[in-house]
This record gives sequence, structure tokens and C-alpha cells, in this order.
Amino acid sequence: MTSSSRQEAPLGTSTPHAASGTGSSAIEADPVEPLTAEQLAAEWDEERPPHAGPLANVAAGVVTALLGVAGVAMSLSMGIGTPERPEAGMWPLIISLVMAVLSVALLLFGRKTLDAEAFSSSSLQVAAGVGTLIGFVLVIGLTGFEIPTLLLTFFWLRFLGKETWRMSILLSAIVTAAFYLTFVVALSVPIPHLF
Amino acid sequence: MTILIGYVPTPEGEAALDTGIAEGKLRSENIVILNSPRKGAAVDATLASADQVAALLKRAHDAGVPASIRQPGHTDDLTDEFIDIADEIDASLIVIGLRRRSQVGKFILGSHSQRILLQADRPVLAVKAGEKS
Amino acid sequence: MDIFGPVLNGFGVVLEPTNLLYCLIGVVIGMLIGVLPGLGPAATIAILLPLTYGVEPVTAIIMLSGIFYGAQYGGTITSVLLRLPGEASSVVTVFDGYALARQGRAGTALGIAAIGSFFGGTVSIIGLTLLAPIVAGFALSFGPPEYTALAMLGILLVATVSNGSKIKSIIAASVGLLLATVGRDGFTGESRFTFGSLSLSDGLDFVPIAMGIFGLGEILYNLEERHNKVQAPAKVANVWPSRKDLKESSGAIGRGSVLGFFLGILPGGGATIASLAAYAMEKKRAKNPERFGRGAVEGVAAPETANNAAATSSFIPLLTLGIPANATMAIIFGALLIQGVTPGPQLVQDNPELFWGVVNSMYIGNILLLIMSIPLVGVFVKILRIRAAILAPITVLITLIGVYTINNSIFDIWLVIAFGVLGYLMKKFGFEPGPLVLAFVLGSLLEENLRRSLLLFGGDPAGFVTRPISGVLLLLFLLVVLLPLLQKAVKKSRANRSLNTAPHKEKEKETV
Repeated sequence: MTSSSRQEAPLGTSTPHAASGTGSSAIEADPVEPLTAEQLAAEWDEERPPHAGPLANVAAGVVTALLGVAGVAMSLSMGIGTPERPEAGMWPLIISLVMAVLSVALLLFGRKTLDAEAFSSSSLQVAAGVGTLIGFVLVIGLTGFEIPTLLLTFFWLRFLGKETWRMSILLSAIVTAAFYLTFVVALSVPIPHLF
Repeated sequence: MTILIGYVPTPEGEAALDTGIAEGKLRSENIVILNSPRKGAAVDATLASADQVAALLKRAHDAGVPASIRQPGHTDDLTDEFIDIADEIDASLIVIGLRRRSQVGKFILGSHSQRILLQADRPVLAVKAGEKS
Repeated sequence: MDIFGPVLNGFGVVLEPTNLLYCLIGVVIGMLIGVLPGLGPAATIAILLPLTYGVEPVTAIIMLSGIFYGAQYGGTITSVLLRLPGEASSVVTVFDGYALARQGRAGTALGIAAIGSFFGGTVSIIGLTLLAPIVAGFALSFGPPEYTALAMLGILLVATVSNGSKIKSIIAASVGLLLATVGRDGFTGESRFTFGSLSLSDGLDFVPIAMGIFGLGEILYNLEERHNKVQAPAKVANVWPSRKDLKESSGAIGRGSVLGFFLGILPGGGATIASLAAYAMEKKRAKNPERFGRGAVEGVAAPETANNAAATSSFIPLLTLGIPANATMAIIFGALLIQGVTPGPQLVQDNPELFWGVVNSMYIGNILLLIMSIPLVGVFVKILRIRAAILAPITVLITLIGVYTINNSIFDIWLVIAFGVLGYLMKKFGFEPGPLVLAFVLGSLLEENLRRSLLLFGGDPAGFVTRPISGVLLLLFLLVVLLPLLQKAVKKSRANRSLNTAPHKEKEKETV
């Protein structure tokens, strides 16, 4: 691309969604511009949700520490035995101890590691998704799998995937039919079904 | 004032661009090319590549029309995006390409062009592929 | 010892039409999920576990392993065309692959990658064929103490080599070990962690855990908008690399094969590390290393060859020792257990048609992949236009309905959802799910062997150290634990010393 056209054609509105499309054309035009690992890592990092602070690591450490302590308590109640005659609780006790100790180590030394992701508004989508799964299981025993399958697919397409109404209705019907044909007609899997 | 052109790399999109550039020259106005990919997949065929973008801008430049391009992404709201950008740049004219569709095709796929024609409160010029203005 | 008889019989097994079909299905699925960002091979294999119930063990494993090495081919395509690695093992391919694509040589990059992958895979299968029976023969003499040490070392290596924080990975592994103890204790018959539930008294099944943590967990994780970037379709022309390209990369392909093969055998090693190491090695060897990152053909050939070689050779510890070397192998291990086959040193002798069937199916699979990835690359590129949102509900339903079909049990669906949420949360909080699943798979084996060893030694743990093989393994275990701590300590003391004594001069020296 020529530089004159660039001057008269301001590329002011590049968006992160189409970086390769609207990025500075000077870079695109140079085929030998080397890619470095740092650039790529930074670029991929941008696409990820923001890091969660040390609090996430503390929360995780506390939860696993509590799990470890609970494991220790329950293992002790099972009976430890001796090394010659180990009883049921010996092995769980060892693991629970390792877990508790490492959780404390995480709380002490691992707080600053930024490998946790912050929850964002799109995490609510995950919660909604899990909600539909729970609904699916609750309904499947009552009405068979067709209706919950149709509803789940529709919900995921329309509200989690932001497909258009038409597309969602059409696709959820097709998916349900395909599942019926695969699992009921072709494989005759004993899944609860209406028809 | 500015002319907003909806562009996709198809004959309809090309027709809209040609007409839009011609109108821009006629009215001595800037043009803004909107080429918005559908978000959600890694690749979208309606998105113009960097080379194509460069070629588009060169065409406008050669015709003496100052042009810029916008490539935001949309989900199920292309019409809203169109109208928002038209408002933002206060477009004097919106140019879009129309696809010829059968009745059935219209029913199943719906039409962004139709919604833009109906919902935009500015002049809309609809162009069909193969027609030179 | 007659080696060739069973090997040839293995080909007979592969050439049965059913097995050929499943091999094809496996590699096609592998290619597809390799191309699509989002689900990785471990998740896909986990989700498809219920499919394998109805078929013969050989057929099932042929398909699952096809998915695994097929994904290595597929991951390349997106790395080269979109600088978006489909799999972790194709990350380094981006540097030179994408540079080549920008020069209009995407076809060359893909062609070289496919040929390199094929070559690396084939070399590795030959290595596997020769080495596996020897390792298995050696391991036949292993007793409970050796297995205890080996399983512990395996879990530790997988936990410490993974990308995430080491402490977190080991915590995840201990959660996996604890989950494995749920149910009736095999020695005393006492119920552990069942909370009075009858459904838990037989222990937790591997399948809902793997499907939940890997499968559903990853689907939920991808629901948060991650792969947001949209790109224009890339054109791929002329996939056949020129003779000059082949000549330039032949050395890289050869070295990549050998390096990949050996790195793949190590527990915790595998495709990702092999690809990184091979790239680094080529860059170091090159006469003008500045070419790398600007479209050097070797920069594509070496990592792609190595990752495929490593993917293949990582079957060795699984098939000969019964110790899975990575998360995907842990799932294949689980699949074998479901089929009533316990992988281990006896496998080659007791189940030669399974062993050689699976090994030899990889030749066929690699040929199929070579055929698919060169002429059909355009088809796979088109798949990238499918929106993730459309695939998500389909994969979720396959998971839920699939797990139900195993035992016709609603309880299993609840388990998958619970473990799916756990898997999602683990990823959010920076815990690798791999070590958990691997530890769960090895948990009962580890406990059983530990308790048997203790009985054997009369309760004296010193017995582990005095036996040569378990002693060496435990020494390695200690080294793996202590080495990073030592390195840290040395670094710290060095930094302290340089700060305390003559701070200015030392600092200047270090920056130079």
C-alpha cells in the first residue's frame, strides 16, 4: 500500500476485534518484520480476561487448606494403624497432610503469582449455563430428553451465543432431531424419551 | 457530511462501494466504509483482509474521495451497529448492497438490508450487484 | 524372542475394516478439534469416552489415539494461517509459520509441517516398536515398591512440568489422590469419604470425573468470551513444498524426530516441550539465526516434527509401564481400564493384538493425516468459520447424554456437572486440571502398591531406599522436589552477595 493513500485515509477506528484488518498498514506491508515471543505473548494476554489479584490465590489456598484439614480429621477417625499394619485412614491422612502443608505454602509464598483470572460479567454466562444444565437434569427424568434438549440448545444459542432468533429456533430444532435420530433411532440408547 | 457505505467482499458489496464513491465525488463528501465481521468464529468471510482494505482505500483515494474504514465486530445486532455509526458520523446517506433473494430465502434468513431500510431515519441508497450507477 | 510375528499380526488387526474406519474417524475428529480453537484433545477424548463402551478395546484405543495425534496436525493449520495455535504444542510454529504465510508461502509451511509430522510420527512408531518390548521386559521384574516410586515420580513430574504454578499443581494432584480413595477400602473394607451415600460406596468412576473436569470444565471456560478476534479468510495455494524447502528442512526434520521421540517418553514431557526444545535447538544450530521469526522453513519443520514424534512416543510409558506420561495419556489409561485391560509390562505378552494393533494403527493414521492435511487443507480452513457458540450446546449435550448412557444413571450426570464446575473453577484460579485427573487414575494403584510394599518390608519405609530401582526412582523424586528450591536459594544468595559487596561494580558487570 502506498503511503499517500494512508495519509488521506485516517485509520482511526481500529478495534481489538479485527486487529489484523485495521492494524497499522505499515506493519502489514512489511513481510520480514519478525515476530517475537514477547509480542505474541502480550497479544494473547490482551485477549484473556484480566488477572485476579492475590486475593484469588488466598481464597484458593484457604479452601484447599480447609479441605486438607477436613481430610486429616476424617482420616484420623477411620483409624491410622501402624506402618506394619496400615488401616484405612493412613493413606488419606498422608495425602491430606501434603495438601494442607502445600496450601499453607501457597498462602505464604504463592500469593503474588498472577495465574488466576478475575471473574467478569461474562462469568455470569457460565453461571447461567450451569443453571440450564441443572434444569436439564431435573427435567429429563420427567419428560424425556427431547424437550430439555430443545430448550437447552435454544437458550445456549440465543442467549449465551447471541445468535439471531431465527437461527436459534431453526438450529435447536435441527440439533434435537439429530440427537433423537442418533441416540434413539440409530444407537437405541435407553435414554428417557417421549416418542 | 459523510457517506456511510456498507461493504462486504461480494459483488453486492463492491456495487455499494462503487456507488458510494461516485456519490462522494459528486457531493464532495467524505466516505466511511463499514465492514463488520460476525464475532464468534475465528474466521469470517465477510471481513476484508488487510490487503483488501488497502485496495479499497486506494480506490477511494484514486477517485479523489477521502475515505476511512471501520471494522468493529457484531453479534446479532448489525442493523443497530449500522444506525449507531450513521448517527455518530451524522451520515448524509447510507449506501448498502442488496442481494436478490427468493421468497423462501427471505423468510429463513431475514434481511439486514430490509431492517436498515426501515429503521434508519436517513436517506438509504440500495444498490444491486451488476448495476452500474 | 520372536518380535516380527506379533508385529505382523498387529497389521492384520489394523486392516480389519472396523478398525480402519475407527482410525479414520479418530484422525478426522483429531484434525477438526486441532483446527478449532477451544476444545483440546484431552477434552475431546474425555467427552467421547462413552462412545468406546460398545466396541472392542483395540478399536476404541485406535480411535482415541487417532484423536490425540491427529490434533497435532490440525493445530498447525491455525498457527500458520491465523497465528492462533490450535494446540499448545503448535505455539512455536506461529513464529515462522505465520511469517511464511505473510510472504504468501502458507502452503509451503503447511506442506513442510505435514511432511515433518508424518516423518516424525513414523520414526517414533519405529522407535516405539523397538523400545517398548525392551522396556516392558525390564519392567516385568518391578514389584510393589518400584511401582510405588514410579507412580509417585510420574505424578510429581506431570505436576511440576505443567505450565501453571507448581504448588497449585501438586495440590490438584493431591485432590485427585483423595478422590481416588472415595469408596470401600480394598484392604479393610471400611467405607471412606462416602458420607453415607450408597452411590459413592463403590468409589467414583473415572469417566464422569474426566468428562467433567476436562470436557465440561473446558466448555464452561470457553463460554466466557475468549476467542474474540475475527480474521479474514486466508488463501492457501500450492501446498507442495519445493525441493529446495525440503532440502533445507530435512536436517531439522531428522533432528526433530529424534529429540521429540526422547522427550515424549519422559513423564510430564510430551508434545509441547518437544516442540519448544526442537525450535530452540534449530535456532541455536543455524548459521544465521536471525532468519528465525522471519519465515525460516526449519522453524516450522522442527517443532512440528518433534511434537508429533513426542505425541507418539508418549505411548511408551503408558503401554509398557502402565504410567501415563501426560493428561491425555491418563484418559486413554482410563479408557483401557474401562475395557478391562490393565496397561503394564504384561500388555505386550498378554494382549499382543491390542498392543501391536494400536501401535501399527499409527502408521495408517499418519498416512491418512498426510493425505488429509495436504490436499484437503482448504476444507479444514473452512471449518474455522463455524462459530464456537453453535458447537457449545452440541458438545454439552453429547457430554450429558453420553455419560448417562454408560450406567443409565442420572447420578452420573450430576457428577459430571459437579466436576465440570470444579474444572472451570480450577482453570479460573490457575490450577491445572491435568495433574488431578492423572493422580486420580494412578491413585488406587499407588495406594495398593504402597500398602503392599509396607507389608513386604514389615512396616519399615527404609526398604524403598535399599532396593536399587525404587531407590534410584525416589532419588530422582527428591531431586525434582529439591532442585527448584536449591536454584532459588542459590539465586537469592548470589543476589544478596552482589548487593552487599561492592554493589556498583558487580551490578555493572551483570548488566554487560
